[in-house]
Amino acid sequence: MPEILINGRKVEARAGQTVLEAAREAGIFVPTFCWHPQLSTAGNCRMCLVEVEGRGLDIACNMPVSAGMHVLTDSPDVQAHRRAMLQFITLNHPVDCGICDKAGECSLQDYHYAYNGQPSLSVEPKVRSTKYYNLSSRILLDNERCILCLRCTRFTHEVSKSMALGVESRGDVSVIRPVADRPLGEDPYSDNIIDLCPVGALQSRQFLHKTRVWYLEATPSVCPGCARGCTVQLWHRKREWHVKALDPAQNASIARVTPLENPAVNGPWICNKGRDLAKIFERKRAAGPMLLGAPATLEAALERARELIGAARHPVALVSSWGSNEEFAAFQRYLGAVFTGYVKCDARPEPGERIEDDLLIRADKNPNSAGARALYGDAPDELPEGTDLVLVWGEGCDFGALPRGANVIFLNAYLAPENGHAAVFLPTTIQTERSGHYTNFCGVVSGFQRCFEPAAGAVDAEALFRALAAPARVHA
Amino acid sequence: MAGRQLLMNFPVTATSHTLAEYRARGGYAAIDRTLRTLKPQDVTQEVLAAGLQGRGGASFPTGRKWQVVVPGDGQPHYLIANADEGEPGTFKDRWILENAPHLLIEGMLLTAYALEARHCFIYIRGEFDLPYRRIAAAVEEAYAAGWLGSRIAGTDFSCDLIVYRGAGAYVAGEASGLIASLEGKKGYPRNRPPRLTVKGLYQRPTVVNNVESLANVTVVMRDGAAAFRTVGTEKSPGTRLISVSGHINRPGVYEVELGFPWRRFIDEDCGGMLGGRALKAIVPGGISSRVLTGADIGPLALSHEALWDVNSTLGSGGMIVIAEGTCMVRLLHIMMRFYHHESCGQCTPCRHGTGWMHRILERIVAGQGRPEDIERLYYIAKYNDGTTICGLGDAAGYAAAGILDKFRDEFEYCIEHKRSRYEGRIECLRS
Repeated sequence: MPEILINGRKVEARAGQTVLEAAREAGIFVPTFCWHPQLSTAGNCRMCLVEVEGRGLDIACNMPVSAGMHVLTDSPDVQAHRRAMLQFITLNHPVDCGICDKAGECSLQDYHYAYNGQPSLSVEPKVRSTKYYNLSSRILLDNERCILCLRCTRFTHEVSKSMALGVESRGDVSVIRPVADRPLGEDPYSDNIIDLCPVGALQSRQFLHKTRVWYLEATPSVCPGCARGCTVQLWHRKREWHVKALDPAQNASIARVTPLENPAVNGPWICNKGRDLAKIFERKRAAGPMLLGAPATLEAALERARELIGAARHPVALVSSWGSNEEFAAFQRYLGAVFTGYVKCDARPEPGERIEDDLLIRADKNPNSAGARALYGDAPDELPEGTDLVLVWGEGCDFGALPRGANVIFLNAYLAPENGHAAVFLPTTIQTERSGHYTNFCGVVSGFQRCFEPAAGAVDAEALFRALAAPARVHA
Repeated sequence: MAGRQLLMNFPVTATSHTLAEYRARGGYAAIDRTLRTLKPQDVTQEVLAAGLQGRGGASFPTGRKWQVVVPGDGQPHYLIANADEGEPGTFKDRWILENAPHLLIEGMLLTAYALEARHCFIYIRGEFDLPYRRIAAAVEEAYAAGWLGSRIAGTDFSCDLIVYRGAGAYVAGEASGLIASLEGKKGYPRNRPPRLTVKGLYQRPTVVNNVESLANVTVVMRDGAAAFRTVGTEKSPGTRLISVSGHINRPGVYEVELGFPWRRFIDEDCGGMLGGRALKAIVPGGISSRVLTGADIGPLALSHEALWDVNSTLGSGGMIVIAEGTCMVRLLHIMMRFYHHESCGQCTPCRHGTGWMHRILERIVAGQGRPEDIERLYYIAKYNDGTTICGLGDAAGYAAAGILDKFRDEFEYCIEHKRSRYEGRIECLRS
């Protein structure tokens, strides 16, 4: 355990650590652009220059700790060099923060105000470069904003292993470019480079110029895209900005999805499917309860369902693998004694989707199969002979494969043709409208929180299970 | 003749570079004797005793560089000859590659034996055509004669030598940039630590030596350390190949015994200044070394320590002689255009600093200089120094600060009068 001094303070470092890591662990902030804990050290931004007494300046991110060294992270010399590095970085960087999506969460902006704050010393024209370079169908690149920290190229080389990006040309005209035969569009993790980019050079097409980040807040959630259950942040408009939204739909929509760092599950990454959760959650919703396709009140639908349950001799429930642990518990408590439960596979891979890899993506495209399997067995290909009532909870059920003559009680959130085929149809809330927990494939439980009001007519599955067990007032 | 000669000690003819003539001059005797009678560490000790300094630019003791590589540590070691001679004004390694390729090959064999390296590389500058053909042919000859390959000269020592052509980048002449390029990557220099002698090519201990340093290893092992030390000065033994260009009557490559009087070398060996003009300045060792004025060099001897004393260096041995009447603003502008063009763009200060300096100088040369420009150039040079990944970023700052220190009045004149005192001349007109 080498003991080092940082700004006169004793810091216990671990052998093999760098000064930057030791300082950050001790709560001493050293600014960086290119350094990232999950990527190799590039040491090219030179922002983390620190002074070691007796040895002069060097970059902290590549400096191994050695016992007794005295590091100064804020000496006048270090401050002067930081100012100079920011002068260099902003030399050709367009100050177009007013139209840059990164503004408000940009390291360069933050460091400029924290460490420099002066206008540029340069009177020379800036080096112009490509704006809106088409990296893939998801990502645009602004080479003028790029500070060549090479986080994106290192990500594609070291984490996603798609090797899709490289640097072309040299000097102050060098540009990040895709590698000819390795399209970034085929990298299912490509959008992580947008988060990695410390400036606004890499821009998400789906988020481009949609909103300013300071209108948004993040709600912790779990990606339901596969059994990995990556923790994510769902960004949506802050309540205090709701009245100013140009379109009320903005207030109830997911602006973007970013990873929520979680070493136990996904580290700091998520895949592109996780970025597109809006595609899953913002599908057309079922309008209200129905009895054999005819709109009904919730009370009437529940009454009819209770009749069917009471009359059934062999009722079977196909339990959604998108249900939360809390919903499973409610089902088990209210209806567990009545129904024979089976785990249903709600979602299967889309055509062209990556099935499985060794980074994050799992072949099981449901978030809580593990939680459901803890209570029920997998659904057999054919339900047992004599089944006369099936409670189908969630999507992905082939109604044609259900036993002939069996009545169906269907709980679904989205608009689907099957909704009208069920004897009783009950609309449910979706993940963004309730809180709960999922258990991922290796048993890690992660929680998600409610960020939107439930859609009109949608009811929490927990409340429905309670009402199905015994007549009670249910609020839609 | 500027003192005794160790490398250029034979008449150059159309065939003097061949193996047969090299053998006739006593070539490959040193490696033969070394393989039979000496242990690897003896070679390192001999080179240490000879006090051989690197000839690439930094003048680091060659033997001390080798000592970092631990023999028998179970890893492969690599030796690379840096023949990516790209420093402007420098063309002395070219002479060895063209005229004495076997001297280099023998030196590499001796070094590989000392380092226990099984594989060696010559990274040769892409623009070198004749040198490439000569060294490639020499390697073929050496393989055919059994001086390369397995079980050399009937001993247990085996060594393979690969000649690799660069693609034309100044930064690939920097040892770690060279290694990145050799690995097939973009020629980006690496951060130290780890040093290349700990983790170099393919993350293995690697020694990168200059061509002339390796040729001198042959000389040390041929003549012995004691004999080598009798040439040159106490602190810098041996000779240096100096490539002289600029406003001089006889430009070319010269072998100079270290400690030889500089002025005499200019006036006698190089035939004096072009057109009999006065000596204004000398760039002593490639444009990355600090420029010296004519008055500075008057009393100086050509040796490492003498130049260090005046805050400059013999560097890469590329000497550019500048006559009175040359516009130093234009000269610095040309230098900076080079640095700007050749900056690899990896680290921030050099990527932006070189371009910034270049654009400022372009403005001054065009008669649009501003009074604060000189301070700005100093500012950029200061914050380039010691903040970059490799030394080439610092060098751009040295070049600028060196010329600004000595010829600040010319810049002030150019900014004030919106034109150069010497009409932007860099060619030497006969007076």
